[in-house]
Amino acid sequence: MVDSQRGSDERPFEEVFYQTERVPLVAWREFSGAKPAVALMAAVTVLAFVTGLSNLSQPDPVVSGPLAAILPMVETIVRFAGVLFAFPLGLVTVGLQRRKRIAWVAALVLLPGLALLPLVTGNATELPLFVLSVAAIPLLALNRESFAQRIDLSSFQIASLAAIVGVALYGTVGAYGLRGQFLELNGWGDAFYYVVVTVATVGYGDITPVTVEAKLFSLSVILFGTGAFTVAVGALIGPAIESRMAAAFGTMTASELSLLEDHVVVLGYGDVTESFLDRLGDTDVVVVTTNAEAAAQMREEGIEVLTDDPTDEETLRDARLDVATGVAVASADDATNVLAVLAARTVNPDVRIVTVANEETHVAKLDAVGADEIIDLRAIGGRMLGDSVLESSTEANDATE
Amino acid sequence: MGARDGAEPARMLPNALLATFVGAGSVVLVGFFFPSVVDNVLGGRAWLVVSLLFFGSGLGYLAALPYEGLGTETSTASTLLHVRRGSLLNHLSDVMKSHDPVILGLPVVVFSLYFALQIVFPAGTTAAVGSLTETVLSGFGPLLVATVLLAVGFCVFLFGSSWGDIRLGGDVEPTYTLPTYFALVFTAGIAAGIVFWGPAEALFHYQTPPPLFDVTPQSGAAVDVALRYTLFHWGLSAWSAYAVIGIPLAYFVFERDAPLRISSILTPFVGVDNLDSYWSRALDTLAVFATIGGIATSIALVSQQFLTGVEFQWGVSSGPFAPVLFVGGLAAVYVLSAVSGLHRGIRRIAGTCVVLFAVFALLLFAVGPKSFVVERGTTALGSYVIHFIPMSLVSSGSWAASWTVWNWAWWFSWAPFAGTFLAALSRGRRIRTVVLTTVAATSAATSVWFLVVGGSTLSMQHSGRVDILSAIEARGGSEAVAGFPLLSALPLGDLLIFLFFALIVAFIVTSADTSTLIAAILASRRGIAPSRGSIALWGAFQAAVALAVILIGGGETLQALAVLTGAPFAVLALVAMIGLALACIREERGGEHTSLVRHVLNRLPSVQLHHDFDPPDREK
Repeated sequence: MVDSQRGSDERPFEEVFYQTERVPLVAWREFSGAKPAVALMAAVTVLAFVTGLSNLSQPDPVVSGPLAAILPMVETIVRFAGVLFAFPLGLVTVGLQRRKRIAWVAALVLLPGLALLPLVTGNATELPLFVLSVAAIPLLALNRESFAQRIDLSSFQIASLAAIVGVALYGTVGAYGLRGQFLELNGWGDAFYYVVVTVATVGYGDITPVTVEAKLFSLSVILFGTGAFTVAVGALIGPAIESRMAAAFGTMTASELSLLEDHVVVLGYGDVTESFLDRLGDTDVVVVTTNAEAAAQMREEGIEVLTDDPTDEETLRDARLDVATGVAVASADDATNVLAVLAARTVNPDVRIVTVANEETHVAKLDAVGADEIIDLRAIGGRMLGDSVLESSTEANDATE
Repeated sequence: MGARDGAEPARMLPNALLATFVGAGSVVLVGFFFPSVVDNVLGGRAWLVVSLLFFGSGLGYLAALPYEGLGTETSTASTLLHVRRGSLLNHLSDVMKSHDPVILGLPVVVFSLYFALQIVFPAGTTAAVGSLTETVLSGFGPLLVATVLLAVGFCVFLFGSSWGDIRLGGDVEPTYTLPTYFALVFTAGIAAGIVFWGPAEALFHYQTPPPLFDVTPQSGAAVDVALRYTLFHWGLSAWSAYAVIGIPLAYFVFERDAPLRISSILTPFVGVDNLDSYWSRALDTLAVFATIGGIATSIALVSQQFLTGVEFQWGVSSGPFAPVLFVGGLAAVYVLSAVSGLHRGIRRIAGTCVVLFAVFALLLFAVGPKSFVVERGTTALGSYVIHFIPMSLVSSGSWAASWTVWNWAWWFSWAPFAGTFLAALSRGRRIRTVVLTTVAATSAATSVWFLVVGGSTLSMQHSGRVDILSAIEARGGSEAVAGFPLLSALPLGDLLIFLFFALIVAFIVTSADTSTLIAAILASRRGIAPSRGSIALWGAFQAAVALAVILIGGGETLQALAVLTGAPFAVLALVAMIGLALACIREERGGEHTSLVRHVLNRLPSVQLHHDFDPPDREK
């Protein structure tokens, strides 16, 4: 055979058909992670909403599923369940996106409930909803580890949430107890309805207190209820606005930081930082610097910045240096660089630390404090300058010859 | 921020496609839950655009995603930069230079000539092709029938004999895992024909039973005969046609280092070094012609089916330019898929297609007439085996000419592209595995499909629940409509119809993208891998032919022409079988390969004689 010595990898069709070593039909990893779980939840939410709207729009919803005979109030369930599930599911999806454990728990509670809906209606168009919500359960269960973020509620936030629950309980139980002193208040449903309408300051007036006791009780519900709501809104929304403001000034919030992993931490901001960041490309980077102006600018370019002291161990822990793949120390001041290397070494003894030396005399010191590699900027610059001059002169010589 | 910007275009396309998919998906969702919206608010044209966008962007997204195991992002970015740098004209001339002028030029000239004739003398051309078809089908009928029977025998022999043990390409690990291999070959080899004829073929045999079996039309006996013949037309015989082109080609490509083109089948007769003759180039040109003709007419037929379905389901007509829109959208997807590469678009869309296929068949089985399908299906399978040889021997008569012979010619006209594709994927596989996957597994899949879909159709028709035959009649005998009355009469009908639409698109895309790739490979100069540009060019050419078929007409005639190329490829299949047999007899005598029977026999004693009872050293 004449052609047998021709290397098989040089054959043209193999460039097309054999680009990689192995081609499995399905890359299961891509489908089993946390991201697909979140995407699936988003799809379930949208589907639940559309299904719900479809049921809501029908004057007589279909109830011919296997569970229709078992459950009470099937018509009401069918009419409202889809939409009412969709709203909390939307919230849960956002929570899952942020890897919150509580969202994970909520999702596992909501999904089986949602899966019951198609079983009640027995409607063919709801089969996709059933399949997706059932499929989401094992996928979420598999990825339990990924959704481990705790929601760190401050004691104030917990108190305000508890206050709302407390007021709702107080109002409902109280109104039910005093139902004889109200017009038109006949049961638990009415009591709850009355409390919500009152606290929301809507006050339809269909249920009215007739005795002094009942009136005073109503006033107390209004006072406590609106108070608790106002405080809760402030306590829950306030921190979110604060973090938005902080982001504008170049400080990452704790929850943003806690998502970092296998990233590169850049300590200090110097002349080389910009071009260094260009070079890193898509790698996750956190820059720690006290230079507020540079921080704001980098923030605009989409780089994560922590405006804090790069020589402080506590700051470095915030920047998740303990799980970083590398550290680059690059401030314009060698004294800061030495301290930053020391701090980084203390936080993570194994991480690879590369540092810039602005003065040649500081190279040994940086080495002594534990830097793995030291880039002497001036020496490199000088060397390149020399090379460049020599090269162009030889080229010129070649040209003249 | 050079590096960051460089990666952007690579992400932009999938992101844009994903956004389109989600957006169009929401509208489609609303359309399914509130069908009146389609009629009142959107209108036919807009609804078609939305549904095309939905399927197209979904499949396109799959193609545009980077490969999971490989950093292709940078390469995409660099090609985009490359395109931007050179002018389009320069780029086009580069693409032209990488082609073999004959193989590129001839099909273009032939197709232009055909359409010119079709415009100037439509009646004359149709009549001429019609009479040519008749002559060829009746003249070559016995040859086609004999070749197919021989092909089945050859495949069975390869599977059982010691030749089946030959590992193509020596001791190389196969790159494509078995599921990938099956999915790629299956979806490439069977285009929308399976969706098109699935509900229709058995019905037609039920209406007009084949003369081989003397049964009353539309009787209970006709049901069995119809299913039996459908199995025959889409089962082992059909897939063997691909295998007898593909396996010899794979052997010569991987064992003799022949180039990957149809003409390499001539290797044992002329030698690897003489594959550059005019004869072999003519053969490659004919292969390109058959491929383009076959795929383009299939695209045209599928667009007709899709549009009929849209009209049936929502009662909206989509206007005269709807087919143009449909073909354009389809072309965009399959070109993107072909350009993205085998491991990206083509593989992912094939996987999606197989999953859709399985889900649809399962659902249809679950909601359809189960007992009828199972009962009649098993009967049909049994009688298929019993009557296989008699059915395989019928070659005369007008029924056989218009069904069996036509069908075999059709499969053979697809064989150059499907066979080449099959050969290219088979590196590192044993011939036995190739036969098992590309003949046995694929025909098992099609058989189950035709039993479930055809069986359900027949059950509905026979019991009188739905009169599908009159629905076909109402639309001028167009078999395209057959699936829709069936599905809409079943529970979960809307969902089934939605899946049916998805299947139509997925099956045609999976065939068109591979045929684009193969046409580009066949037409490239020796030693040059087709560039993205030339793949795109061939995709565009296929789309242009499909569009011309729709706009100028003469689709049936062009299909007949493409199918006619099946006759020479049937001859080539004979040559391939003889060539492989000769080569194997010459080369593989050493006894290093063992037959399946010997394999089984070798296994037996080691199972019976356990070491505990009979230690190995005392055996002899």
